[in-house]
Amino acid sequence: MVEILKELEDRFQVTDLVQQKDHLAFVSVDKNKAIPMITWLKDQAGYTSLTLLTAVDWLEDGKFQLTYMINNPKKNSQIAARVMIDRENATMESAHHLWESIRIYQRELKEMFGIDFPGSPEVDESFILEGWVDIPPYRRDFDTKKYSDETYFPRPGRQSNDPAEYMKSKMYPNE
Amino acid sequence: MSIKDLLTPFTAWKRITKEPVTIRDPFNDRPGAERYRGFHKNDVNKCIGCGTCEDICENEAIDMVPFKDPISGDSGLRPRLDYGRCCWCALCVDVCTTNSLTLSNEYTWVTVDPEDFRYTPGVDKKAWDDNEKGWKKPEGSYEFYNINRVEMHHLHPEDRDKSFVEMVKGYSREQAIAEADRCVECGICTATCPAHMGIPEYIKAVRHEDMEEGLRILYETNPLPEICGRICTHKCETVCSIGHKGDPLSIRWLKRYIADNVSSDKYKEILNTKDLSNNHKKVAIIGSGPAGLSAAHYLALMGYQCTIFEQYEKAGGMMRYGIPEYRLPYDSIDKDIDYILSLGVDIKYNTRIGTDITLEQLNKDYNAVFAGTGLHLGRSTGIPGSDNEHVYYATDLLRQITAGEEIEVTDQIVVIGGGNVAMDITRSLARMQNQKFGKVNIITTALEREKNLPADLEEVVESREEGAIINPGWAPQSIEIENGRPVGLHVIKCNSLFDDTGRFNPQCDITKKEFFPGSMIVQSIGQGMDLSFVNEDFKKDLEFGSRGRVVTNAYFQTSVKWFFMGGDIIEGPDVIHGIANGHKAAIGIDNYIQGIDFTPAK
Repeated sequence: MVEILKELEDRFQVTDLVQQKDHLAFVSVDKNKAIPMITWLKDQAGYTSLTLLTAVDWLEDGKFQLTYMINNPKKNSQIAARVMIDRENATMESAHHLWESIRIYQRELKEMFGIDFPGSPEVDESFILEGWVDIPPYRRDFDTKKYSDETYFPRPGRQSNDPAEYMKSKMYPNE
Repeated sequence: MSIKDLLTPFTAWKRITKEPVTIRDPFNDRPGAERYRGFHKNDVNKCIGCGTCEDICENEAIDMVPFKDPISGDSGLRPRLDYGRCCWCALCVDVCTTNSLTLSNEYTWVTVDPEDFRYTPGVDKKAWDDNEKGWKKPEGSYEFYNINRVEMHHLHPEDRDKSFVEMVKGYSREQAIAEADRCVECGICTATCPAHMGIPEYIKAVRHEDMEEGLRILYETNPLPEICGRICTHKCETVCSIGHKGDPLSIRWLKRYIADNVSSDKYKEILNTKDLSNNHKKVAIIGSGPAGLSAAHYLALMGYQCTIFEQYEKAGGMMRYGIPEYRLPYDSIDKDIDYILSLGVDIKYNTRIGTDITLEQLNKDYNAVFAGTGLHLGRSTGIPGSDNEHVYYATDLLRQITAGEEIEVTDQIVVIGGGNVAMDITRSLARMQNQKFGKVNIITTALEREKNLPADLEEVVESREEGAIINPGWAPQSIEIENGRPVGLHVIKCNSLFDDTGRFNPQCDITKKEFFPGSMIVQSIGQGMDLSFVNEDFKKDLEFGSRGRVVTNAYFQTSVKWFFMGGDIIEGPDVIHGIANGHKAAIGIDNYIQGIDFTPAK
């Protein structure tokens, strides 16, 4: 693990190395070096299997974080590559030429975060949200509560109480 | 039909000896994972009904519904789930202030009535109530709010034990905002506060850095925020929902922060009290302690001409003459009082009712009278030797210190009492011993044992930091007198104070004796009321209750309609009850003068 991380530092100038467990390490890599790095890991270093691709919305920083987690089945070793991309017009190079299955993740990220992967097969088709017109729902500025208020009607007979008001009405109604 | 069609069904028979791949009983054979987020459970005895789960729920799946009558610290409400909306994200579990709410790993539930899927966990019994598996917030893991309070800077003992400078420094802007940020706005505290202050609202104002709004909220229920922000007994903090997992909010210091950060010359503008109406009705107020000042403030806002009669040279009552300056500086007292007086409230100092002017005269000259005369008389232990001239009452000494009078300070002092007043005199005398002799030699003893001491814990801790010895659990027996002055106090071990029925009945062990040497003894075992301003004829018209207190109705009106009473003589003793009583009495007096019928009985 130590050697491969050293190699990634030399070849792709990765930063923020964190070796979480014996067989799991996180690195940060520049957007334009990310695909070359995972290509190298897959073709040269035995990290042949894609575990997952996911995203985090760093709203305050104006960034999305993509995390590519890939696995070396022979060594049972995992590397997770973090890539920060701009939140505005979020776009990332597609990796479907490396693993065909990654197109599913990319399609999901397009729908849920609005991150585009140009050229990825069926990336613009609905994934699970058929007919969605609001902003992508995994973005942190999506107001879940407002959406559910506007979209779903309350069940009849529901009634709630504010703790302070309720205590006043029962304990000191005349004050 | 071919022969193949006939034989095909029998091909399944080739698996007859193999293990089946299907599950026989999916309800029991497929349990959820160890930490699966399944159906809700709630420990209803741990839950305090703060409603934070309802607030955080993004799907509005939770309602707070009545479970039992509310009590201080528990709204009596409990969360009711609507599984038509819940998405089992477990935010409600993660934010829960008491950790009462958890998820089981149960995930199958079949019913024909959709209404069944609305239920109150822990109240409506479910099969998974005792299921230990499922999602609980991991102990000691992340928190959605800081469970530790922002530490308040205190002067170190060596920097404070010789002087009377204020020892609590107050929050900075950053500290106040960080502290205010811990509040979940449940409002459980409001019911416990005797004045029912809008606590979550003014904490929110601190968070939003809107001091003007904060001040307006404070004055709705409390016209002495500088004072209360320093020395309130802060009952609110004992029920704070955040206190269940960590430190309660520093509610008192946040109140002080607001008051400290608004300049007094802006008060009238912010509180909109520049032009108060005048209804030409007059109210006399006896005593300028918290009850009297509070009554005067709220009556003045209603347009009444109030005159306060104060027996001493300065206003404030026990707040000035009882509480030492290191806890409550005179500047802070003056800021609150000066504002109230600026509303047109008149005050006559050095005027004692009964000697300088009679109560009957007040009745003739004013439309109503409010008395908030407090508890100023020291109570004696009555033990042999307690009548010696070097045996004092704490209240007398504290008043003399404030008035700048010379008091006796010897190099070896014994204080009897375990309340806050006992700590006040202990710490005041410790400072004076330090100034005079360069060292502290005080023993403070009380009937109560350490864990039952009535004084605030911080008072006990700080007294010890300043060099006093607090040695509780002893019953005073006699004061040894030699050559006309005390040489010490004889005590015996006190094992318990109350019997099984809860009556005061100290049990002592006479075989365990102790002698605390002291050339000066101070008694601080409680205070009594001084009703000498009321003459005997008038007393006959006043209704007295079982414990010798005057009976008042919910608006602090006595059996003599024009005479209202409140504060320590009726309820407490503490500042915040006085403030609440004064406010309520002001409403009662307004109703009385206007001839409006109001709730007759308490």
